[in-house]
Amino acid sequence: MNERSARDLLLHSWRGRFGLSMLGVFIFVAVFGSLLAPDDPDASSTDVLASPSLSHPLGTTEQGSDVLSQLLVGAQVSIVVGFAAALISALLGSIVGLAGGYYGGWTDRILDALENWFLVIPTLPLMIVLASILDPSLTVLIVVIGLTSWAGTGRIVRAQVLTLRERSFVERARALGASDTHIIRTHVLPNTLPLIFANTVLIIAVAILSEAALSFLGLGDPTRISWGTMLENAFSSGAPSAGAWWYVIPPGLCITLLVLAVSLIGFLFEEHINPRLREAT
Amino acid sequence: MSGRWLAGKTLAALLTLVFVIIFNFFLFRVMGDPTTQLARLPNASPEEIAKLRADYGIDKPLPAQFLDYAGDTLTLDLGISQRSREPVWEEIKDALPWTLLLVGTGTLLATLIGSWMGVVAATNRGKRSDDGLLSFSLFTYASPEYWIGIILILLFAVAIPILPAGQQVTPGVEFSSFFAEALDVAEHMILPVTAMTLMLLGQYFLIMRSSMVDVLGEDFITAKRATGMRWDRVVRRHAVPNALLPLVTLSAIQFGTVVGGAVTIETIFSWPGLGELSFNAINDKDFPVLQGTFLVFSAGVILANLLADVLYFFLDPRVQSR
Amino acid sequence: MSSLLEVSALRVDHGDRPIVDGVDFAVQRGEALGLAGESGCGKTTTALALMRLLPASLEQSGTMTLRPPGAEEQINLEKRTEAGMQLVRWRHISLVFQGAMNSLDPVQRIATQIDEAIRLHEARVKREDVNARIGELLTTVGLTPELRRRYPHQLSGGQRQRVMIALALACRPSLVIADEPTTALDVVMQAQVLQLLERLREELGLALILISHDLGVLAETCDRIAVMYAGRIVETGPVERVFADPQHPYTKRLLDSLPTIGGRRGLAPPIPGGPPDPGNPPRGCRFHPRCPYAADICAERDPELREVAPDHASACHFAPWSGWPEPAAGAAAGKVQA
Repeated sequence: MNERSARDLLLHSWRGRFGLSMLGVFIFVAVFGSLLAPDDPDASSTDVLASPSLSHPLGTTEQGSDVLSQLLVGAQVSIVVGFAAALISALLGSIVGLAGGYYGGWTDRILDALENWFLVIPTLPLMIVLASILDPSLTVLIVVIGLTSWAGTGRIVRAQVLTLRERSFVERARALGASDTHIIRTHVLPNTLPLIFANTVLIIAVAILSEAALSFLGLGDPTRISWGTMLENAFSSGAPSAGAWWYVIPPGLCITLLVLAVSLIGFLFEEHINPRLREAT
Repeated sequence: MSGRWLAGKTLAALLTLVFVIIFNFFLFRVMGDPTTQLARLPNASPEEIAKLRADYGIDKPLPAQFLDYAGDTLTLDLGISQRSREPVWEEIKDALPWTLLLVGTGTLLATLIGSWMGVVAATNRGKRSDDGLLSFSLFTYASPEYWIGIILILLFAVAIPILPAGQQVTPGVEFSSFFAEALDVAEHMILPVTAMTLMLLGQYFLIMRSSMVDVLGEDFITAKRATGMRWDRVVRRHAVPNALLPLVTLSAIQFGTVVGGAVTIETIFSWPGLGELSFNAINDKDFPVLQGTFLVFSAGVILANLLADVLYFFLDPRVQSR
Repeated sequence: MSSLLEVSALRVDHGDRPIVDGVDFAVQRGEALGLAGESGCGKTTTALALMRLLPASLEQSGTMTLRPPGAEEQINLEKRTEAGMQLVRWRHISLVFQGAMNSLDPVQRIATQIDEAIRLHEARVKREDVNARIGELLTTVGLTPELRRRYPHQLSGGQRQRVMIALALACRPSLVIADEPTTALDVVMQAQVLQLLERLREELGLALILISHDLGVLAETCDRIAVMYAGRIVETGPVERVFADPQHPYTKRLLDSLPTIGGRRGLAPPIPGGPPDPGNPPRGCRFHPRCPYAADICAERDPELREVAPDHASACHFAPWSGWPEPAAGAAAGKVQA
């Protein structure tokens, strides 16, 4: 898969166009959110849990803050944590998968066991345990999510490397005396990168959901507004029982749409790389 | 032979659990031994500190500490809750049945409905019903389950107040019989179980759909049609049974998600299970409880995986003769 | 006497690509017709078309008339609804699929599957009768009745093939189509399966359409043979006559590639080129690009299948051939002087 075919793929299907445009919107908001916000998202007022009006198109929070402003500013956390955590996860998974698959033997056995452990263990409880012993911040979130989501990538990379290792061009290279690094760099990596890339996009979606869940549970960065913390505040202040739909629906909807956008793109890449998937869907 | 295979799987499961205990142990250490907290007491004498260290067993070498810890864990001594001062195991024991009720019902419904959806989608591949079901699943996959829970509360407990918004029973009511109480619990279960089912539905649907599509492409399906069988019978009697087999093992991947969903959904609905326990423990920084629930969650998922393997073994005749 | 099965102008198209392009043949009661040709020439598609089992993406046209013994009216297979075909399938025509390995439900026992097939067409049959028949069917194909309790994966390839044949006979059809029944088997098993088919024909008066790319297999078992190329029948006639005196260059080359004991050593040269692309068939005679005797007329006009000798038809401009000259001499040298 090369860049041109990836671009074609995204632009020629309505799923790709929808996903890409939606993602673009969110990234734009993430960058310019604070400029776009009509009010200071942290500014409280006495106008508590007010329903939408002209001055507050999405109403106010339990502190009297403008929901719309918080919504716009909150995009940044989701995007930043989602992408950064997925990057860490991809790096970690690729290294482990490469090392295990390529070197085999005991290295592989240990790494494989490690991978399987992370795959079996329930992810959210693990993240909760890790995040709760540290002081909450964006960095903690990124690290915790990255450290717990790598096993999926690891497994895919390992499987790919195992197949490649048996292929003749690798044997030939070795016979010619090429070093391991060289072989990995010129033969294994190029064939594995598309796979890693497609998988990482889907990990971004999972990371966004994870950040939202952790923030909702109170493990998010208390100095930052995120959609997850908005839902946390809404819930703990009784907004659902008060019927404050303007407070409760938008943050979750944004999470959903962002994850949808990323997932659509990710599934498209996956289908492209694995034509058999295209047949089955 | 089946005995050896079962032993192997059980051993692997136990080893995984052992590593959870090791993980918990090191987490416990990382948080610092309790004497560092003591150091905040300015007047603690060296003797008092030494006595405290002995009490906590910190004066022993690390491997001995670990054995103590592991031994405690295996005898279900999971420490004392920092908030309630009750044994962690007691709190977990009270909460566990509620989580099992929620998770069990949700998984059952999600499997049944999701499988049915998968069959419909696979036999109508490419048509509108298939597209609709796929879009629906994608939406439920992308949406946070606690947000869906909140919307359910908004719709059915606030806007149209026909269902309770939380807890497992109506507070302050005396029940005339077990049956009456069970009915009350059932009423309180509706919204949380719906949220859980919706969360899991998409994944079971996709697995079943993909499994059905694979099976429908096999030669024996055409061969059955050739014998003059009606298509609905071919699907029901031959395609679905073969498609269900991979569902058993593949859905084992979902068990982790189920548990995560239990945490957030119980929080939303104040459902008194392990998830709610964890949530409260997060707020209170109650580490023993957090580690305890993590252990139980992990044990549950490991056990569920093992059961899925065993179930598959009994269902697939091809495996049995190995 | 009217034929058991009469096929006329059968076409199967995939959009605008013809896979089967106008096929006519007939099968008499108790007769074995061999359908020969390279893979991809449309043999299996023809078989599936007879049973109306083609996927919806393929369009089928032409007439297929079945006259089962004892039936008052003929059955127009092309006109039947799906429900109507369900009554015909297995009861009058059955099919032994290519690659019997995967034609059985892997999670059901053999007995269950044969039982199901029988009950589909004889709803009121009693349990003891069905069980007895299953035992008989398995014995008929040379298997021990105890195998009935087994699952498909517990049988060898040859045993599975026989089970498929037993299954095909379960409802006592008058016509059985066997698609490459020997391909996946070793030589010994091949011989056994062919002997079995021969015996079944004699004992049950079964008519057989035997599909194979292996002319040797067809020579042993069939009465008549139809040679297919690129979706068309290019030669048809009694099997001894066609083998002794082929009237189409393609048939000749197929026969040449059969090794014979005492014959020439070494392999005959393969037929150059490959089967044509169904979407873009050659103009004129479909075979002419690969034919050593092709002349100008072959590239211009598409030859029809016509009788060139009693009960022997060929679709070649230069048939009847009285001998096969060296290709350089040209087709005219072989043509019977009118």
